[in-house]
Amino acid sequence: MSLSITHHDNTAFWDNRRGVIRTRIGGWIPGRAVYCHGYDMMEDLVGKVSYFQVLMLNATGRLPDRRLADWMEAYFIGNSYPDARIWCNQIGSLAGTMHTSPLTATSAGILASDSKMYGPGTVMAGVNFFVEALAKKMNGLSAEEIVTDQQRHPKAKPVIIGYARPIANGDERIATLDLLAKKLGFERGEHLTLAFEIEQVIYNKTKERMNLLAYVLPFLCDQGYTAREIYRLLSALVYAGVVACYGEAADQPGEAFFPLQCNDIYYQGKPLRKIPEKKCLS
Amino acid sequence: MPQAKTDVTKRNIDFATRTATKIWKEEPSAHNPYLAEECLCHGYSLIELMEGRSFVDTLFLLFQGELPSPDHARLLEMTLVAFCNPGPRHPATRAAMNAGVGKTSPAHLLPIGLNVLSGSHLGGQEVEEAIRFLRKHAGDLPNEIALALLAPNRPENGDFHLAPGFGSRFGGIDPMPKKVADILTAHHSSGAALQWGKAFAETIRPDNMGWLSTGVVAAVLCDLGFHPQAGAGMFQLICAPGILAHGLELANKPISAMPFLDEEHYVIEHNTPR
Repeated sequence: MSLSITHHDNTAFWDNRRGVIRTRIGGWIPGRAVYCHGYDMMEDLVGKVSYFQVLMLNATGRLPDRRLADWMEAYFIGNSYPDARIWCNQIGSLAGTMHTSPLTATSAGILASDSKMYGPGTVMAGVNFFVEALAKKMNGLSAEEIVTDQQRHPKAKPVIIGYARPIANGDERIATLDLLAKKLGFERGEHLTLAFEIEQVIYNKTKERMNLLAYVLPFLCDQGYTAREIYRLLSALVYAGVVACYGEAADQPGEAFFPLQCNDIYYQGKPLRKIPEKKCLS
Repeated sequence: MPQAKTDVTKRNIDFATRTATKIWKEEPSAHNPYLAEECLCHGYSLIELMEGRSFVDTLFLLFQGELPSPDHARLLEMTLVAFCNPGPRHPATRAAMNAGVGKTSPAHLLPIGLNVLSGSHLGGQEVEEAIRFLRKHAGDLPNEIALALLAPNRPENGDFHLAPGFGSRFGGIDPMPKKVADILTAHHSSGAALQWGKAFAETIRPDNMGWLSTGVVAAVLCDLGFHPQAGAGMFQLICAPGILAHGLELANKPISAMPFLDEEHYVIEHNTPR
Protein backbone atom coordinates (compact mmCIF):
# COMPACT_ATOMS: atom_id res chain seq x y z
CA MET A 1 0.00 0.00 0.00
CA SER A 2 1.47 3.37 -0.89
CA LEU A 3 0.99 6.13 1.63
CA SER A 4 0.88 9.41 -0.29
CA ILE A 5 -0.33 12.75 1.06
CA THR A 6 -3.79 12.06 -0.34
CA HIS A 7 -4.05 8.63 1.29
CA HIS A 8 -7.13 8.04 3.46
CA ASP A 9 -7.40 5.23 5.99
CA ASN A 10 -10.37 2.91 5.64
CA THR A 11 -12.45 3.72 8.72
CA ALA A 12 -15.74 2.15 7.62
CA PHE A 13 -15.65 -0.37 10.51
CA TRP A 14 -15.66 2.45 13.06
CA ASP A 15 -17.92 4.78 11.05
CA ASN A 16 -20.65 2.10 11.23
CA ARG A 17 -20.42 2.14 15.01
CA ARG A 18 -20.05 5.86 15.62
CA GLY A 19 -22.92 7.45 17.55
CA VAL A 20 -24.84 4.20 17.91
CA ILE A 21 -24.81 1.18 20.20
CA ARG A 22 -25.92 -2.07 18.56
CA THR A 23 -26.52 -4.80 21.07
CA ARG A 24 -27.63 -8.38 21.41
CA ILE A 25 -27.80 -8.34 25.20
CA GLY A 26 -30.89 -6.19 25.46
CA GLY A 27 -31.71 -2.91 27.16
CA TRP A 28 -34.35 -0.65 28.59
CA ILE A 29 -36.98 0.88 26.37
CA PRO A 30 -38.73 3.32 28.73
CA GLY A 31 -42.48 2.85 28.74
CA ARG A 32 -42.23 -0.53 27.01
CA ALA A 33 -40.00 -3.15 28.56
CA VAL A 34 -36.57 -4.16 29.74
CA TYR A 35 -35.15 -6.80 27.45
CA CYS A 36 -32.54 -9.24 28.71
CA HIS A 37 -31.09 -11.54 26.07
CA GLY A 38 -34.51 -11.71 24.45
CA TYR A 39 -36.46 -12.19 27.68
CA ASP A 40 -38.78 -9.54 29.08
CA MET A 41 -37.19 -8.94 32.47
CA MET A 42 -40.37 -8.07 34.38
CA GLU A 43 -42.55 -10.68 32.66
CA ASP A 44 -40.15 -13.60 32.34
CA LEU A 45 -37.42 -13.24 34.95
CA VAL A 46 -38.23 -11.20 38.08
CA GLY A 47 -39.89 -13.49 40.64
CA LYS A 48 -39.71 -16.46 38.27
CA VAL A 49 -36.05 -17.41 38.09
CA SER A 50 -33.22 -17.14 40.61
CA TYR A 51 -30.63 -14.37 40.74
CA PHE A 52 -27.92 -16.86 39.79
CA GLN A 53 -29.90 -17.88 36.70
CA VAL A 54 -29.95 -14.24 35.59
CA LEU A 55 -26.28 -13.79 36.46
CA MET A 56 -25.43 -16.78 34.30
CA LEU A 57 -27.77 -15.56 31.55
CA ASN A 58 -26.09 -12.16 31.51
CA ALA A 59 -22.58 -13.62 31.62
CA THR A 60 -23.11 -16.14 28.83
CA GLY A 61 -26.30 -15.24 26.95
CA ARG A 62 -27.92 -18.57 27.92
CA LEU A 63 -30.47 -19.08 30.69
CA PRO A 64 -29.43 -22.19 32.64
CA ASP A 65 -31.90 -24.46 34.36
CA ARG A 66 -32.52 -23.81 38.03
CA ARG A 67 -30.49 -26.75 39.32
CA LEU A 68 -27.30 -25.56 37.62
CA ALA A 69 -27.81 -22.06 39.00
CA ASP A 70 -28.38 -23.56 42.46
CA TRP A 71 -25.18 -25.57 42.15
CA MET A 72 -23.34 -22.40 41.10
CA GLU A 73 -24.73 -20.53 44.08
CA ALA A 74 -23.48 -23.29 46.37
CA TYR A 75 -20.05 -22.99 44.78
CA PHE A 76 -20.08 -19.23 45.44
CA ILE A 77 -21.00 -19.93 49.08
CA GLY A 78 -17.97 -22.21 49.23
CA ASN A 79 -15.80 -19.24 48.27
CA SER A 80 -17.18 -16.92 50.92
CA TYR A 81 -14.85 -17.74 53.82
CA PRO A 82 -14.90 -14.78 56.22
CA ASP A 83 -11.19 -15.15 57.00
CA ALA A 84 -9.16 -11.94 56.98
CA ARG A 85 -5.90 -13.80 56.36
CA ILE A 86 -6.92 -14.73 52.82
CA TRP A 87 -5.33 -12.23 50.46
CA CYS A 88 -8.40 -10.72 48.81
CA ASN A 89 -10.28 -10.68 52.11
CA GLN A 90 -7.49 -8.85 53.88
CA ILE A 91 -7.75 -6.15 51.22
CA GLY A 92 -11.38 -5.79 52.31
CA SER A 93 -10.21 -5.45 55.94
CA LEU A 94 -7.52 -2.93 55.00
CA ALA A 95 -10.09 -0.88 53.08
CA GLY A 96 -12.42 -1.14 56.08
CA THR A 97 -9.78 0.13 58.48
CA MET A 98 -9.26 3.10 56.15
CA HIS A 99 -13.03 3.71 56.35
CA THR A 100 -13.53 3.48 52.59
CA SER A 101 -16.97 2.81 51.18
CA PRO A 102 -18.04 -0.86 51.06
CA LEU A 103 -17.97 -0.68 47.27
CA THR A 104 -14.34 0.37 47.26
CA ALA A 105 -13.49 -2.54 49.54
CA THR A 106 -15.42 -5.18 47.65
CA SER A 107 -14.30 -4.06 44.22
CA ALA A 108 -10.66 -3.95 45.39
CA GLY A 109 -10.98 -7.41 46.98
CA ILE A 110 -12.68 -8.85 43.91
CA LEU A 111 -9.94 -7.33 41.73
CA ALA A 112 -7.32 -9.00 43.93
CA SER A 113 -8.85 -12.39 43.15
CA ASP A 114 -7.78 -11.87 39.53
CA SER A 115 -4.71 -13.84 40.59
CA LYS A 116 -2.55 -16.49 39.03
CA MET A 117 -2.56 -18.35 42.36
CA TYR A 118 -6.22 -18.46 43.38
CA GLY A 119 -9.69 -17.23 42.42
CA PRO A 120 -11.13 -16.44 38.99
CA GLY A 121 -7.71 -15.32 37.70
CA THR A 122 -6.77 -18.98 37.36
CA VAL A 123 -9.73 -19.89 35.16
CA MET A 124 -8.31 -19.39 31.67
CA ALA A 125 -5.18 -21.45 32.24
CA GLY A 126 -7.14 -24.04 34.25
CA VAL A 127 -9.87 -24.59 31.66
CA ASN A 128 -7.36 -24.65 28.82
CA PHE A 129 -5.50 -27.43 30.63
CA PHE A 130 -8.61 -29.59 31.05
CA VAL A 131 -9.82 -29.00 27.50
CA GLU A 132 -6.40 -29.91 26.08
CA ALA A 133 -6.09 -32.85 28.46
CA LEU A 134 -9.40 -34.28 27.26
CA ALA A 135 -8.30 -33.85 23.65
CA LYS A 136 -5.15 -35.82 24.51
CA LYS A 137 -7.23 -38.53 26.16
CA MET A 138 -9.39 -38.75 23.04
CA ASN A 139 -6.16 -39.22 21.09
CA GLY A 140 -5.32 -42.19 23.24
CA LEU A 141 -3.08 -40.72 25.94
CA SER A 142 -3.46 -42.06 29.47
CA ALA A 143 -3.88 -39.80 32.52
CA GLU A 144 -0.34 -40.78 33.46
CA GLU A 145 0.97 -39.51 30.10
CA ILE A 146 -1.07 -36.33 30.37
CA VAL A 147 0.53 -35.58 33.74
CA THR A 148 4.00 -36.43 32.44
CA ASP A 149 3.45 -33.86 29.68
CA GLN A 150 3.21 -31.21 32.41
CA GLN A 151 6.56 -32.12 33.96
CA ARG A 152 9.61 -30.13 32.90
CA HIS A 153 11.72 -33.25 33.31
CA PRO A 154 10.91 -36.77 34.54
CA LYS A 155 11.84 -36.05 38.16
CA ALA A 156 10.19 -32.60 38.32
CA LYS A 157 6.95 -32.14 40.25
CA PRO A 158 3.99 -31.84 37.86
CA VAL A 159 2.69 -28.27 38.08
CA ILE A 160 -0.99 -28.22 37.16
CA ILE A 161 -3.50 -25.57 38.17
CA GLY A 162 -6.08 -27.13 40.45
CA TYR A 163 -3.72 -29.67 41.98
CA ALA A 164 -1.71 -27.45 44.32
CA ARG A 165 -3.81 -25.50 46.78
CA PRO A 166 -2.00 -22.71 48.63
CA ILE A 167 -1.81 -23.14 52.42
CA ALA A 168 -3.36 -26.64 52.56
CA ASN A 169 -3.38 -29.93 50.66
CA GLY A 170 -6.87 -31.24 49.93
CA ASP A 171 -10.14 -29.36 49.76
CA GLU A 172 -13.07 -29.69 52.14
CA ARG A 173 -15.53 -28.29 49.58
CA ILE A 174 -15.25 -30.93 46.89
CA ALA A 175 -17.13 -33.72 48.68
CA THR A 176 -19.94 -31.32 49.62
CA LEU A 177 -20.33 -29.94 46.10
CA ASP A 178 -20.06 -33.41 44.59
CA LEU A 179 -22.84 -34.64 46.86
CA LEU A 180 -24.96 -31.66 45.88
CA ALA A 181 -24.30 -32.33 42.18
CA LYS A 182 -25.49 -35.93 42.64
CA LYS A 183 -28.54 -34.77 44.58
CA LEU A 184 -29.40 -32.35 41.78
CA GLY A 185 -29.10 -35.18 39.26
CA PHE A 186 -25.87 -34.24 37.49
CA GLU A 187 -23.91 -37.11 36.03
CA ARG A 188 -20.14 -36.99 36.02
CA GLY A 189 -19.04 -35.78 32.57
CA GLU A 190 -15.90 -36.58 30.62
CA HIS A 191 -13.87 -33.54 31.75
CA LEU A 192 -14.59 -34.22 35.42
CA THR A 193 -13.96 -37.95 35.06
CA LEU A 194 -10.54 -37.16 33.62
CA ALA A 195 -9.88 -34.60 36.39
CA PHE A 196 -10.33 -37.38 38.98
CA GLU A 197 -8.11 -39.74 36.97
CA ILE A 198 -5.42 -37.05 36.93
CA GLU A 199 -5.83 -36.56 40.66
CA GLN A 200 -5.13 -40.23 41.24
CA VAL A 201 -1.93 -40.05 39.17
CA ILE A 202 -0.74 -36.91 40.95
CA TYR A 203 -1.63 -38.35 44.36
CA ASN A 204 0.41 -41.45 43.62
CA LYS A 205 3.37 -39.29 42.55
CA THR A 206 3.28 -36.44 45.07
CA LYS A 207 0.47 -37.06 47.58
CA GLU A 208 -1.15 -33.82 46.37
CA ARG A 209 -4.94 -33.73 46.20
CA MET A 210 -7.08 -31.77 43.75
CA ASN A 211 -8.50 -28.52 45.00
CA LEU A 212 -11.90 -27.04 44.29
CA LEU A 213 -10.76 -25.47 41.03
CA ALA A 214 -9.87 -28.84 39.51
CA TYR A 215 -13.36 -30.00 40.41
CA VAL A 216 -15.37 -26.93 39.38
CA LEU A 217 -13.70 -26.08 36.06
CA PRO A 218 -14.14 -29.55 34.49
CA PHE A 219 -17.69 -29.68 35.88
CA LEU A 220 -18.52 -26.39 34.13
CA CYS A 221 -16.77 -27.57 30.95
CA ASP A 222 -19.04 -30.60 31.05
CA GLN A 223 -22.01 -28.22 31.24
CA GLY A 224 -20.91 -26.69 27.93
CA TYR A 225 -19.26 -23.49 29.11
CA THR A 226 -16.08 -22.11 27.53
CA ALA A 227 -13.06 -20.73 29.40
CA ARG A 228 -14.06 -17.13 28.65
CA GLU A 229 -17.62 -17.76 29.81
CA ILE A 230 -16.45 -19.34 33.06
CA TYR A 231 -14.05 -16.42 33.72
CA ARG A 232 -17.01 -14.06 33.38
CA LEU A 233 -19.32 -16.26 35.45
CA LEU A 234 -16.88 -16.33 38.36
CA SER A 235 -15.84 -12.68 38.32
CA ALA A 236 -17.47 -11.84 41.69
CA LEU A 237 -16.66 -15.20 43.28
CA VAL A 238 -15.03 -13.85 46.45
CA TYR A 239 -17.45 -10.98 47.04
CA ALA A 240 -19.17 -12.28 50.18
CA GLY A 241 -15.95 -13.09 52.05
CA VAL A 242 -14.51 -9.66 51.29
CA VAL A 243 -17.62 -7.81 52.46
CA ALA A 244 -17.54 -9.70 55.78
CA CYS A 245 -13.93 -8.68 56.40
CA TYR A 246 -14.60 -5.12 55.32
CA GLY A 247 -17.57 -4.74 57.65
CA GLU A 248 -15.81 -5.86 60.78
CA ALA A 249 -12.82 -3.56 60.17
CA ALA A 250 -14.97 -0.61 59.09
CA ASP A 251 -16.92 -0.76 62.37
CA GLN A 252 -13.71 -0.21 64.35
CA PRO A 253 -11.70 3.03 64.72
CA GLY A 254 -9.38 3.80 61.80
CA GLU A 255 -6.13 1.78 61.59
CA ALA A 256 -7.34 -0.56 64.35
CA PHE A 257 -7.04 -3.61 62.09
CA PHE A 258 -3.70 -5.43 62.29
CA PRO A 259 -1.54 -2.30 62.95
CA LEU A 260 2.23 -2.35 62.44
CA GLN A 261 4.96 -0.55 64.32
CA CYS A 262 7.82 0.91 62.25
CA ASN A 263 10.07 -1.99 63.19
CA ASP A 264 7.48 -4.57 62.20
CA ILE A 265 8.80 -3.97 58.69
CA TYR A 266 12.24 -5.45 58.10
CA TYR A 267 14.29 -2.91 56.17
CA GLN A 268 16.87 -4.61 53.96
CA GLY A 269 17.86 -1.62 51.83
CA LYS A 270 20.76 0.81 51.72
CA PRO A 271 21.81 2.56 54.93
CA LEU A 272 21.45 6.33 55.23
CA ARG A 273 23.47 8.10 52.52
CA LYS A 274 23.94 11.65 51.28
CA ILE A 275 22.29 12.78 48.08
CA PRO A 276 24.98 13.28 45.42
CA GLU A 277 25.44 16.76 44.05
CA LYS A 278 23.22 17.18 41.02
CA LYS A 279 25.00 17.56 37.71
CA CYS A 280 23.65 20.02 35.16
CA LEU A 281 21.39 18.58 32.49
CA SER A 282 23.49 17.75 29.49
CA MET B 1 -26.78 -33.09 55.28
CA PRO B 2 -24.20 -35.71 56.24
CA GLN B 3 -20.87 -34.89 54.64
CA ALA B 4 -18.12 -37.12 53.47
CA LYS B 5 -14.85 -36.32 55.22
CA THR B 6 -12.05 -34.97 53.05
CA ASP B 7 -8.42 -35.12 54.02
CA VAL B 8 -7.25 -31.55 54.35
CA THR B 9 -3.85 -30.92 55.86
CA LYS B 10 -2.37 -27.49 56.42
CA ARG B 11 0.97 -27.11 54.68
CA ASN B 12 4.06 -26.51 56.75
CA ILE B 13 5.02 -23.26 55.01
CA ASP B 14 7.73 -21.16 56.61
CA PHE B 15 6.04 -17.76 56.43
CA ALA B 16 8.07 -14.63 57.17
CA THR B 17 7.52 -13.19 60.62
CA ARG B 18 7.99 -9.66 59.25
CA THR B 19 7.47 -8.19 55.79
CA ALA B 20 10.78 -7.07 54.28
CA THR B 21 11.55 -4.17 51.95
CA LYS B 22 14.61 -2.60 50.37
CA ILE B 23 12.70 0.51 49.36
CA TRP B 24 11.68 2.32 52.48
CA LYS B 25 12.85 2.63 56.04
CA GLU B 26 10.80 4.30 58.72
CA GLU B 27 12.74 5.30 61.83
CA PRO B 28 10.37 5.02 64.77
CA SER B 29 9.71 8.05 66.91
CA ALA B 30 11.22 7.74 70.40
CA HIS B 31 7.85 8.31 72.05
CA ASN B 32 5.63 6.25 69.72
CA PRO B 33 6.80 3.18 67.79
CA TYR B 34 3.86 3.47 65.39
CA LEU B 35 4.98 6.91 64.16
CA ALA B 36 7.93 7.54 61.85
CA GLU B 37 10.38 10.25 62.78
CA GLU B 38 12.32 9.93 59.52
CA CYS B 39 11.79 8.12 56.21
CA LEU B 40 14.54 6.81 53.95
CA CYS B 41 14.00 5.99 50.30
CA HIS B 42 16.72 3.56 49.26
CA GLY B 43 18.94 5.20 51.87
CA TYR B 44 18.18 8.84 51.04
CA SER B 45 16.32 11.01 53.51
CA LEU B 46 12.89 11.87 52.17
CA ILE B 47 13.23 15.39 53.54
CA GLU B 48 16.52 15.86 51.68
CA LEU B 49 14.97 14.50 48.51
CA MET B 50 12.09 16.92 48.90
CA GLU B 51 14.48 19.83 49.27
CA GLY B 52 17.03 18.88 46.63
CA ARG B 53 15.53 16.60 43.99
CA SER B 54 12.64 16.57 41.51
CA PHE B 55 9.61 14.30 41.53
CA VAL B 56 10.95 12.54 38.44
CA ASP B 57 14.25 11.80 40.22
CA THR B 58 12.38 10.41 43.23
CA LEU B 59 10.04 8.37 41.06
CA PHE B 60 13.00 6.75 39.30
CA LEU B 61 14.73 6.16 42.64
CA LEU B 62 11.68 4.42 44.08
CA PHE B 63 11.64 1.82 41.32
CA GLN B 64 15.31 1.52 40.39
CA GLY B 65 17.00 1.96 43.77
CA GLU B 66 19.34 4.68 42.49
CA LEU B 67 18.88 8.29 41.40
CA PRO B 68 18.76 8.67 37.61
CA SER B 69 21.43 10.23 35.43
CA PRO B 70 20.36 13.62 34.04
CA ASP B 71 19.75 11.92 30.68
CA HIS B 72 17.53 9.24 32.15
CA ALA B 73 15.65 11.81 34.22
CA ARG B 74 15.03 13.87 31.08
CA LEU B 75 13.80 10.84 29.14
CA LEU B 76 11.36 9.92 31.91
CA GLU B 77 10.19 13.51 32.28
CA MET B 78 9.47 13.88 28.55
CA THR B 79 7.51 10.61 28.65
CA LEU B 80 5.50 11.73 31.67
CA VAL B 81 4.51 14.89 29.80
CA ALA B 82 3.84 13.18 26.46
CA PHE B 83 1.48 10.56 27.90
CA CYS B 84 -0.04 12.50 30.83
CA ASN B 85 -3.49 12.25 29.23
CA PRO B 86 -4.91 9.46 27.06
CA GLY B 87 -7.49 12.06 26.00
CA PRO B 88 -11.28 12.32 26.34
CA ARG B 89 -11.96 9.66 23.66
CA HIS B 90 -9.89 6.94 25.28
CA PRO B 91 -12.12 4.35 27.01
CA ALA B 92 -10.17 4.69 30.28
CA THR B 93 -10.74 8.44 30.39
CA ARG B 94 -14.35 7.99 29.33
CA ALA B 95 -14.86 5.58 32.22
CA ALA B 96 -13.71 8.29 34.65
CA MET B 97 -15.90 10.83 32.85
CA ASN B 98 -18.94 8.52 33.02
CA ALA B 99 -18.30 8.08 36.73
CA GLY B 100 -17.91 11.85 37.15
CA VAL B 101 -21.11 12.77 35.36
CA GLY B 102 -22.84 9.84 37.09
CA LYS B 103 -22.02 11.49 40.45
CA THR B 104 -19.82 8.65 41.61
CA SER B 105 -17.75 9.66 44.62
CA PRO B 106 -14.78 11.73 43.34
CA ALA B 107 -12.50 9.37 45.29
CA HIS B 108 -13.38 6.60 42.83
CA LEU B 109 -12.80 8.44 39.54
CA LEU B 110 -9.11 7.65 39.24
CA PRO B 111 -9.27 3.95 40.27
CA ILE B 112 -12.16 3.41 37.85
CA GLY B 113 -10.24 4.96 34.97
CA LEU B 114 -7.05 3.11 35.86
CA ASN B 115 -8.91 -0.22 36.04
CA VAL B 116 -10.06 0.28 32.48
CA LEU B 117 -6.51 1.27 31.53
CA SER B 118 -5.25 -2.15 32.62
CA GLY B 119 -6.36 -3.97 29.47
CA SER B 120 -4.37 -5.82 26.86
CA HIS B 121 -5.56 -3.44 24.11
CA LEU B 122 -3.84 -0.04 24.46
CA GLY B 123 -3.60 -0.54 28.23
CA GLY B 124 -1.21 -1.58 30.93
CA GLN B 125 -1.08 -5.26 30.02
CA GLU B 126 -0.03 -4.35 26.50
CA VAL B 127 2.85 -2.24 27.89
CA GLU B 128 4.04 -5.21 29.94
CA GLU B 129 3.85 -7.49 26.91
CA ALA B 130 5.57 -4.86 24.75
CA ILE B 131 8.52 -4.64 27.15
CA ARG B 132 8.83 -8.44 27.00
CA PHE B 133 8.65 -8.28 23.20
CA LEU B 134 11.34 -5.57 22.97
CA ARG B 135 13.63 -7.43 25.38
CA LYS B 136 13.16 -10.75 23.61
CA HIS B 137 13.98 -9.35 20.17
CA ALA B 138 16.70 -6.85 21.13
CA GLY B 139 19.26 -8.95 19.23
CA ASP B 140 17.07 -9.65 16.20
CA LEU B 141 16.67 -7.64 13.03
CA PRO B 142 13.44 -5.58 13.17
CA ASN B 143 12.55 -6.27 9.54
CA GLU B 144 12.92 -10.04 9.99
CA ILE B 145 10.66 -10.01 13.05
CA ALA B 146 8.11 -7.85 11.24
CA LEU B 147 8.12 -10.23 8.29
CA ALA B 148 7.47 -13.22 10.53
CA LEU B 149 4.65 -11.44 12.40
CA LEU B 150 2.97 -10.17 9.26
CA ALA B 151 2.69 -13.70 7.91
CA PRO B 152 -0.50 -14.67 9.79
CA ASN B 153 -3.74 -13.35 8.37
CA ARG B 154 -4.60 -9.87 9.49
CA PRO B 155 -8.20 -9.80 10.79
CA GLU B 156 -10.71 -8.32 8.39
CA ASN B 157 -12.33 -6.02 10.95
CA GLY B 158 -10.90 -3.81 13.62
CA ASP B 159 -7.33 -2.95 14.39
CA PHE B 160 -4.40 -5.31 14.25
CA HIS B 161 -1.51 -5.19 16.71
CA LEU B 162 1.04 -7.37 14.99
CA ALA B 163 3.16 -7.13 18.13
CA PRO B 164 2.35 -5.64 21.53
CA GLY B 165 2.80 -1.87 21.26
CA PHE B 166 2.81 -1.79 17.46
CA GLY B 167 -0.04 -1.84 14.98
CA SER B 168 -2.90 0.18 13.57
CA ARG B 169 -5.29 2.49 15.38
CA PHE B 170 -8.69 3.15 13.79
CA GLY B 171 -7.32 1.67 10.62
CA GLY B 172 -4.28 3.92 10.35
CA ILE B 173 -0.99 4.99 11.88
CA ASP B 174 -1.54 6.98 15.08
CA PRO B 175 0.39 10.22 14.48
CA MET B 176 0.88 11.33 18.10
CA PRO B 177 2.83 8.30 19.38
CA LYS B 178 4.90 8.51 16.20
CA LYS B 179 5.71 12.20 16.79
CA VAL B 180 6.60 11.52 20.42
CA ALA B 181 8.74 8.53 19.45
CA ASP B 182 10.51 10.57 16.77
CA ILE B 183 11.45 13.22 19.34
CA LEU B 184 12.50 10.65 21.94
CA THR B 185 14.56 8.59 19.50
CA ALA B 186 16.29 11.76 18.23
CA HIS B 187 17.19 12.76 21.80
CA HIS B 188 20.67 11.71 22.88
CA SER B 189 19.21 10.00 25.97
CA SER B 190 17.29 7.44 23.92
CA GLY B 191 18.44 3.84 24.18
CA ALA B 192 18.47 0.59 22.25
CA ALA B 193 14.79 -0.27 22.68
CA LEU B 194 13.60 3.09 21.31
CA GLN B 195 15.96 2.74 18.36
CA TRP B 196 14.84 -0.86 17.70
CA GLY B 197 11.19 0.22 17.94
CA LYS B 198 11.81 3.05 15.48
CA ALA B 199 13.26 0.64 12.93
CA PHE B 200 10.41 -1.82 13.53
CA ALA B 201 7.77 0.92 13.12
CA GLU B 202 9.45 2.01 9.90
CA THR B 203 9.35 -1.57 8.57
CA ILE B 204 5.59 -1.92 9.15
CA ARG B 205 4.71 1.55 7.83
CA PRO B 206 3.86 0.30 4.30
CA ASP B 207 1.22 -1.91 5.97
CA ASN B 208 -0.32 1.22 7.53
CA MET B 209 0.84 0.33 11.04
CA GLY B 210 3.27 1.92 13.43
CA TRP B 211 4.03 2.85 17.03
CA LEU B 212 1.17 2.72 19.50
CA SER B 213 1.27 4.75 22.72
CA THR B 214 1.82 1.51 24.65
CA GLY B 215 4.84 0.66 22.49
CA VAL B 216 6.50 4.03 23.01
CA VAL B 217 6.06 3.90 26.78
CA ALA B 218 7.31 0.30 26.79
CA ALA B 219 10.44 1.24 24.84
CA VAL B 220 11.21 4.12 27.22
CA LEU B 221 10.69 1.92 30.28
CA CYS B 222 12.85 -0.76 28.69
CA ASP B 223 15.65 1.76 28.06
CA LEU B 224 15.36 3.03 31.63
CA GLY B 225 15.81 -0.51 32.96
CA PHE B 226 12.28 -1.18 34.18
CA HIS B 227 11.21 -4.80 34.51
CA PRO B 228 8.23 -5.87 32.34
CA GLN B 229 6.13 -6.40 35.48
CA ALA B 230 6.39 -2.67 36.22
CA GLY B 231 5.06 -1.81 32.77
CA ALA B 232 1.32 -1.93 33.44
CA GLY B 233 1.44 0.06 36.66
CA MET B 234 3.89 2.63 35.30
CA PHE B 235 1.62 3.18 32.31
CA GLN B 236 -1.32 3.70 34.67
CA LEU B 237 0.75 6.13 36.73
CA ILE B 238 1.88 8.07 33.66
CA CYS B 239 -1.67 8.40 32.25
CA ALA B 240 -3.34 9.07 35.62
CA PRO B 241 -3.31 12.90 35.64
CA GLY B 242 -5.41 13.30 32.49
CA ILE B 243 -7.86 10.58 33.50
CA LEU B 244 -8.51 12.30 36.83
CA ALA B 245 -8.71 15.78 35.30
CA HIS B 246 -11.36 14.71 32.78
CA GLY B 247 -13.34 12.83 35.44
CA LEU B 248 -13.32 15.84 37.75
CA GLU B 249 -14.31 18.20 34.95
CA LEU B 250 -17.62 16.35 34.64
CA ALA B 251 -18.18 15.68 38.35
CA ASN B 252 -19.95 18.98 38.90
CA LYS B 253 -21.98 18.94 35.72
CA PRO B 254 -25.54 17.66 35.28
CA ILE B 255 -26.10 14.16 33.87
CA SER B 256 -27.22 15.82 30.64
CA ALA B 257 -23.64 17.03 30.06
CA MET B 258 -22.76 13.74 28.33
CA PRO B 259 -24.70 11.87 25.64
CA PHE B 260 -27.30 9.30 26.69
CA LEU B 261 -28.36 7.68 23.44
CA ASP B 262 -32.03 7.80 22.47
CA GLU B 263 -33.77 4.57 21.46
CA GLU B 264 -33.12 5.32 17.80
CA HIS B 265 -29.40 5.03 18.45
CA TYR B 266 -29.61 2.12 20.88
CA VAL B 267 -30.44 -0.80 18.64
CA ILE B 268 -31.45 -4.10 20.24
CA GLU B 269 -30.79 -6.61 17.52
CA HIS B 270 -32.31 -9.76 19.08
CA ASN B 271 -35.65 -9.85 20.78
CA THR B 272 -36.20 -13.55 21.10
CA PRO B 273 -34.67 -15.75 23.76
CA ARG B 274 -31.53 -17.45 22.52
